[in-house]
Order: sequence, then structure tokens, then C-alpha cells
Amino acid sequence: MSIPELLVNDGFISRQDREKINDLSATTGQSFIKIALNFGYISRKNYERSLTNAGYVFQPIRELAHDADVLSKIELKFADQHVALPLRIENGRVITVMADPSNQLFIDFIRFTYDCEPEIILASDLDITWLSHKLTGDKYVKSAVFELLNRDPNSSAFITFSTGQLAFLFILLGLVTIGLVVSFKNTSIIINILISSFFLVAILFKLFLALMGSRFELHQAVTREDLREIVEDELPIYTILLPVYKEDKLIKKLIWNLQALDYPREKLDVKLLIEEDDDKTLNAVRNLDFPAIFEVVVVPFHMPKTKPKACNYGLHFARGKYLTIYDAEDIPDTDQLKKVVSMFGKLPSNYICIQSALNYFNRNENFLTRMFTLEYSYWFDYMLPGLDTLDIPIPLGGTSNHFKLENLVELGAWDPFNVTEDADLGLRAYAKGYKIAVINSTTYEEANNEPINWIRQRSRWIKGYMQTYLVHMRNPVALWRKLGWKGFLGFNFFIGATPLTFLVYPFLLAIFISYLVFDLSTIRTLFPDWILFMSIFNLMVGNILMIYINMMAVFKRRYYELILFSIANPVYWLMHSVAAFKGLYQLIVKPFYWEKTEHGLSKVNNPTNIVK
Amino acid sequence: MRNQSRYLLLITILLAIYYLVLGIHLNHLGYISQEAMFYIEKTKIVVDGLGNRLKVMGLTAPILPFYASFIFSAISAPLAPVIASSIITAVLFFLIGSALMRRAKDEFYLFILLIIFIFHPGILYAACSGKSIALVMVFFFMFFFNLIKFYNSNTTFHVSIASISLVLLIFCDYKFIWLTLFFIPLVLSITIKSLNLGEQESIFRLFISFNNPSLRRKLINKTFALYIILFVLPLACIVCYKLLNLTHAQDLNYFSESPYATWTVLADKLSFDQLSTSTVYQIPETSILISARVLLFCPLILVAIYLFRNSMYQVLTLLTPFAFIEFLHIKYEKVFLAQEYYLIFVVLALLCILYKAQTIRNQTILKTIVGVLTLVQLYTGYIFLKNSSLTEEKNFITVLLNREPDTHQDENRQLANYINHLPEGAHVLVDDAIAFPIVAFTRDKKDLQRLTLPYQNTYLSAIEAPDKYDDYILLASEKNEVTGFTQLNNKYIPVVKKANSALKLHRVYETSDWVLYKVYE
Repeated sequence: MSIPELLVNDGFISRQDREKINDLSATTGQSFIKIALNFGYISRKNYERSLTNAGYVFQPIRELAHDADVLSKIELKFADQHVALPLRIENGRVITVMADPSNQLFIDFIRFTYDCEPEIILASDLDITWLSHKLTGDKYVKSAVFELLNRDPNSSAFITFSTGQLAFLFILLGLVTIGLVVSFKNTSIIINILISSFFLVAILFKLFLALMGSRFELHQAVTREDLREIVEDELPIYTILLPVYKEDKLIKKLIWNLQALDYPREKLDVKLLIEEDDDKTLNAVRNLDFPAIFEVVVVPFHMPKTKPKACNYGLHFARGKYLTIYDAEDIPDTDQLKKVVSMFGKLPSNYICIQSALNYFNRNENFLTRMFTLEYSYWFDYMLPGLDTLDIPIPLGGTSNHFKLENLVELGAWDPFNVTEDADLGLRAYAKGYKIAVINSTTYEEANNEPINWIRQRSRWIKGYMQTYLVHMRNPVALWRKLGWKGFLGFNFFIGATPLTFLVYPFLLAIFISYLVFDLSTIRTLFPDWILFMSIFNLMVGNILMIYINMMAVFKRRYYELILFSIANPVYWLMHSVAAFKGLYQLIVKPFYWEKTEHGLSKVNNPTNIVK
Repeated sequence: MRNQSRYLLLITILLAIYYLVLGIHLNHLGYISQEAMFYIEKTKIVVDGLGNRLKVMGLTAPILPFYASFIFSAISAPLAPVIASSIITAVLFFLIGSALMRRAKDEFYLFILLIIFIFHPGILYAACSGKSIALVMVFFFMFFFNLIKFYNSNTTFHVSIASISLVLLIFCDYKFIWLTLFFIPLVLSITIKSLNLGEQESIFRLFISFNNPSLRRKLINKTFALYIILFVLPLACIVCYKLLNLTHAQDLNYFSESPYATWTVLADKLSFDQLSTSTVYQIPETSILISARVLLFCPLILVAIYLFRNSMYQVLTLLTPFAFIEFLHIKYEKVFLAQEYYLIFVVLALLCILYKAQTIRNQTILKTIVGVLTLVQLYTGYIFLKNSSLTEEKNFITVLLNREPDTHQDENRQLANYINHLPEGAHVLVDDAIAFPIVAFTRDKKDLQRLTLPYQNTYLSAIEAPDKYDDYILLASEKNEVTGFTQLNNKYIPVVKKANSALKLHRVYETSDWVLYKVYE
């Protein structure tokens, strides 16, 4: 009896479902068992139970010997589709691991390719996936790491500082040192003026952007009427990449969140990207006692171990017309995918990415989550729409950015050496003449509620901004030409200014506090009154404006209770400064190191993401 | 639309030229306001002075009109305030005009706007006097325009812009800080309106909101958030500004209470004296009558209120300026209400008409009423200026209509001229708390630098020992109405002689307000 029949007889799969699976199998080329296990028809537990009852025995296969010649004759994608892999030839038989020993097509493939009969070992589909990616995924993982570097080395963060940049930095340092030696007072004054002015201009720019964004806060890029016009049968295949690392606690949540998505199940191509050494997550998937609706892709080990590398790897197996990335803990609005499809339909063809807003479901958990929520509300509800309105490059958020797959591939996908690959990709898209839009749909994430964890995450972001800035400023004139003056200034004030303001902030604050509390005579002799006047004005106005911008942020989401927390922003920025210095240190000593953020620390239950 | 904008821009430019010609002509006839002279004097100190100019630059109030005037001092120092006020009034016309074209889309109202901006004596006064009125009107317009837009759009953008406009308005005239007082009940009313309730009547909405815990929490949170977003910026800016005053002048209220920082201290004092001593009573400015006077001055405001009659909180918004001027009258007792506080109602009326006129079905009647009231308003505007209790307002209309030279500043001019022609190297001790008109009339950098003024570090020493620092001393005479605001008055001579009996002073020039002494050792 074939495995599909067995499962039907055992009552785990209905006859109608079997037909559906067969249809899907015919259109996608994937085997019956692959679809049954990855499209929510049967849980792995039940599948194992059914086969065990029928007398099959699941074998551990990870340590089995393999032969490179045998493996070279099979393409990973084919093995993956059939959840089967030939390992070696022994005693005239091909030792083959299979999740469905009755898969005739694959058995025939073995016979024709190796000219011998297979000796089938039954194994869990997850183990076979793990083994097949580990043994045959080399060329894909190499491509995931080096594709952009080979194709467009100038856009890769593989080299952190170019020679020109190093020369510029050292000449600047030299000039400042000479200046300080020759005339300490005047040089300090010039530095102070430059920093203060830069600080104020950067903040005024942010205020301007926030105001621009707030002007269109009621604008609905996709309306309910647009959604009603969508014909389900015409919806394209949608790939969702879920890069995870040691997120075993979140797997169950993830399934609930994915199941809530309002999109035809058979048109979803969900890939859970698990690192080769991440047994925790793999076992969590294995132990699920309800059907999963995602396909596991195991990313073979290769440095750098970053999220963009995993995504690039997953991209090789993506089948969709559109593609998005979610984190494991993300709760997207249920209609988000449909909204994106509708919006792509309305936008000109040069729009290749749509960014959804991000916000937090655990905002009221503690001080940090409240501040984080304020920051994100201001960033995604006001700042990005402001950039969008002014046609300035949008630094994409880490998740919920929806791409046209073919254009993403054309751009060279994500840079695995860049730790904020999203922001970098947004800029590369603009530089190539593509556009990014912002959509009225939100993905709720888990705000970091633990200070050390927060600093780790933020240091990576700030380091990534520095990397991105350095990569794109290797040739400022060329960048100016590509982005235009608005884009160029926007890039400098947004990507460049962000780390710099955080680095400078504690010094300005220290001078201010010393002046205020101690009224240090040294400061007064170093800086004339007018400089102090200007600096204090800048610092106070700058702080007030930034607090004000954050206060504005509560309105769109109606988080009125958070408004007073904006006042605590100067303290919050100090945490940013700590993270910025950590990021700067890492940029120099280990630029590609991916600071892992722990998720699942929140004790708050997710709210519903059903769009009312 | 683009053509219309060009058309409007062209009218604006012509209007600016019209104001400039008129303003310069009046200036040549000798008309100059106290406020303009104050700005000219401070500009001269900042540009040509020797000493702590930073304090003058940063703490002169109202700061924005001063900076506006300062910008144009590059063209002509004595005409800078007039150029600034002319251009800003034209900008106000452009702002109202462009909003009108976008909303009302009827050239009749543009025509009415133009008539008001060309002929209304109050607007002409704002444009040609070099005062801060024009800038006040611009920000007042922006504040109310964005607030009314917020009522419809409910976006943070409009409330933020309104808040920023309020900040700018306060830095044009500090008294507008009191306007916030009347928004406290109003914001609650706005929040109640914005709650998603089936009940329409405001009082019942309030009742429902207070009796439902969830709605109550929402109401309180939103009201509080709106207060913050509207008022936190003005309050924070005022606190910062006061701190700057404290650190640089050792007085939190230096900018509003020191005659060195603002011209209003003396203006208010003169107004107070006039009211206290005048035997001829003009129209008594009692509270209720102030609002009645506004209705006489600007009858168009009645149309404005009619247009917004269906929305209680919008009518309340229109009534806040009434409450504001009533409050000013109580708070600043015995100070005449200046033309500026009447003119804001003209702006408000125009704003309401441009916002709502198109919603009235019977346009003919509305246009007739607006047309007639505009003509009435032009007349009452003239009457108000002609009978104004403030001398410089009355002077303005007299000089404008009679085109006869204004002689009010002649003595100051002659005195300044005398000082300008003193021998090379001669220094004069002057207190610009009250003598700023004389400093304003100095000719060039050399003339300014011969003056020892209070912003300089040597000033206090010069007061103690004038013979060591200066060759001349300018003292306010007993007749000078503001003689009490300076140390350099007739009481100074016995004091300084007591300290130095060898000091000899000889009168070299005398006007009714001033006496210039030469110092001998």
C-alpha cells in the first residue's frame, strides 16, 4: 500500500485533501509527502504514527556515510521536492533515504540514474532536508555569500573601509590633530560649530520629514474597496521567508500567525530558513503536534552567519512572484499580502518593493518597550511616508518588505556582509532607478524588553548603518548622480547622520551638564559665550524637537497613553549612544558579526491581528 | 491653477511695491513708529556696536519681528522695519489669496481680499509702519487656519503646524501666550467631538464619555495628548527662552520687562500715563464694549460666525480671540488695545470666509453681505485709527491722508544730528532704555561707536565717573514722559557731583525731552 493510501486509510488525510494534494503536486512538481507535510494537511507526529503502525521504522540518518560521486548526480532542488536523497552505492544497491518509500517517481529516478536498485531507508523529512542541504547545498550557499560580491563588488560590504575612505579619515584626523596643536581653542570652536550645526540640521530635517509624513497619515494606499476587487484565483504565488536561529520557543506562535494570513494556502510558499547547527529550532518543528504550513530549508554552514545570507539561500528555492520576509515573532495584518498584491497592481512597474509599517504588540510591557514603540511609530508612520512623499530613498525595515522576486534577484538580493542588509537594499534599488512604496498595513513585532538584549540589537543596526554609509559613499559623486540631490542629502542625513548623532550626543550632553551644574571655567575659556549660546540653543531645541516628533507619533496609532514617555527620550538616546559605540567598535574588529537578538522574552500574549 | 498662482504672485509683488512706496513715502514725511525705531537702534548695535552684542541679538524682543527687520537692514538700516512689514503683509495676502483660490474658487472673494489689502487703513498701518503687526497676522492666520483644518482632517500634521505657528506667534508678541488659556476648554470640546459616538449633542456626548470607564480613559488620554501636542512646544520654547534670559541677563523676564529688551515697556507706560491723567475721556474701554468695538471694527466676523454656526467647537474657536482681548484688557489694565488686536479679527473673518463661503447655497446674498460689510469695515477701520488713543496710530492716518510732514520725531532727529556732528573722538554717555530714538537716528558706524551704551561693559563705570570715559552726557529732562526709566535724568547731576565735586557740566544742547551736557574736569 502506498503511503498516501495508508494516510487516507488511517483517516489522517481525507479523500478530498488527497485529491487537492495530487493537484498541487502536479502543478508544483513537489511530491505528495512534501505537500502533505508542508501545506498543513497532516502533522509530522501523525505521519510518523501512521507509518510506524504500518510497520515502518524511522532511522537516524545524519551520521550515515555518503559518496560524493553519488551525490553529484542529484540536484538539490529535485531531492528537496521529493524529500529523498541517494547517499552511496553499497552491494550494488543505492542507499537512499526517503520520507515516502512509495514515491515511485524518485525510485525510478534512482534506477535510471545509477542503474541499480535503491535500498530505501525511511527517515524523517526534516532529517532528509537537513542532510540534502548539508551535502548538496554547497553551490547555493556559495552563491548566497558571493553572488553580490562577484557581480557588483562596489555594492558589497565585504570591504568595510575603502582605501580612499581610510585616506580621508586619516587625513582628517591628522588635520584635526595639527589644528588642535597649533590652535587648540580655534579648532575646538570650529569642531563645536560644525557638530552643533549638523545636529540641529539633522533634527530639523527629521521634523520636516515627520510633518510631511503626518500630512498623509489618513491616506489609505489600499482601501477596502480595492481589497474587495481581488479575485482569489488570480492571486500569484507568494513566497514568505522566515529566517530563524534558535527560535524554538516561537515556532508554535509562528504557525498561528501564518495561519491567520488571508491568502490561499496553496498559493503560499513559506520557507522556514534554519541554520545547519540549529537543532533546537529543527526539533521544535519536529515536535509540533499539529500540521505545519511551511517548508523547512536548512542553510548549510558558511561564514558569515547572517540573516541576509540565509535569505539569499532561501531565494534559490523561492517559487513566488512576490516575496516577503517576516521574523519568527511577527504578526502581520491578516490582509497584508492581499493589500500588497493590490498595490503592486496599481503602482507603475518601477516600484519593486513595498514596505509595511512595523509596530509592537507588547508596547505596555515596560519602559523600554514603550520607548521602542514610540520610536517605531514615528519611524514607520511618519518618517517613511515622509521620505516616500519627498522621493528620498527609504531604508527598508528588517521585515515585512515585499519584493517583486525577479527584480530582487536582478539587484543581487541582500548583501550577506552587511548587518542591515535591508537598508542597504533599499538604497541599491533607488540607485538603479527603482522605487519603494509604503503601505497602510502593519506587522506587529515583539519589542525588546531587556536592556542588554536591546543594546545588542541596536548595536547591530547602527553598525549596519555605518557599513551601508561607507559602502555607498565610496564614490560620493557617483552616488549624487544616481540618487539626485534630494536622495543624496536624504541618505546623508538619514543613514549617515543617525550613527553620528548618537556618537556625538553624550559629548554634547556632558558639556551641557558640566556647564549647567559646575559652570566650569575651563569650558568658558575654551568656548566664547556666543559658541556656548549656540550650542546650548542647538542642544535644547534639538532635544525638544525630537521629543516633539516622538509625541506626534502617538496620534496615528492612538497610543495616547505613551505621550509623556517621549520626555524620556534623552535617556533613551543615551542607550543608543552606548549601542553606537559598541557598533563602532564591532565595525572595526568584526564587521560581519551578527549580534543575535533574543526573541520570545515578552510575557505579553499577542493581540489579534485580524483586521476589523 | 498654475496660471492663477502666477496671477496671484504678480498681484502680491505689485502689492508689496505699493506698500513699499507708501511706507517709504511716509518715512520721508517723517513718520516712524517707536517699534521701528527700536529695531533700527538694536540692529545698529548688533551690526556696528562694540561690546556684548550677543545679548542684544538674542534677547531683543519680540525676537522674530526684530530678526525680520534685521535681515532687511542689509538694504537700508533706517528703512529695514518698513521693508520687512511691507513684504510680510504682501506675504500674508499671498497666503490668504492662495488658500482662497484653492478653497473658495471664486474671484469675487479674491477681489474683496484685494480691496481690504489695498484700502483698509489698519492693513496699511500694519504694512507701512514697520511694526510687528504683519508678522503677528501671518502666524495668527496660520495658527487658526491649521486648527480649523485639523477639525476636518484630524491629522497630526495640522495640529503640529498650528502648534509651531503658535510658537512663532508668541515670539512675535508675547501677549499671545494668553491665547492658550482659552484653548483649555476648547480642546476638551474637540476631543469629545472626535470620539466615535452615536450621540451627536455635545453635552450628551460628554455625559456618555464620563460615565463609561473605557470612553472616559480614552477621553482623558486623548485630551491630554492634544494639550501636549498643541502646547508643549510653546511652553518649552518659552521656558528655554526664559532660561536664556536668566543666564545672560540674570532675569527670567528680562525680554518682557526690561526697556533695553523690548519697546513695549515704554509704550505701555505712555499709554498708562495717558489713561491715568487724561481729563478728556474717550470711548471707555470697558470689557463688554471691547467686544462690541471689535464688531464695529470688523463686522465681517459676524459672517464668519454665521458660516460656522453648525459646529459648536468651531464657533468656540472663533470666540477665543474675543475672550483673549477681553482678558488682555483686564490683565493689562489701563493699557490701550493696539490696532494689532483688532486686525486679527479681520484676518480671522477672511479665514472663515475662504474656508466656508463655498458651502452657502445662495452666493448672491452672501456676496452682497460680504461686499457691503467690507465697505463698512473700510470706513470703521479709518474711524478707529483716526480716533485711536495711541498717538502713533492717530499720527499714521493723519500723515497718510494729509500728506503733511510728521514733526513728532524732529527734536530727536535734530539732537541726533547734533551728536553726529560732535568733534572726532568725542564720546557721549547715553541710556538707550529711553533714548533709543536718538541712537536710531545716528548716521553711521562712527557715530554709533562714539556712544557709550548700556550693552557695553564700560557703561556702569562711565555712569560712576563720566569724566573718565565720556565727553558728553545725554540726560532726560523733567518733561520727558519716561524719565523714570533711566538713571540718566535730572536727578543724576546732584548724585554724580556729590561723588566728584570737581566735575563740571555745561549744557550744550537742549530739547523739550533732552539735555546734552558737556563734561569738564
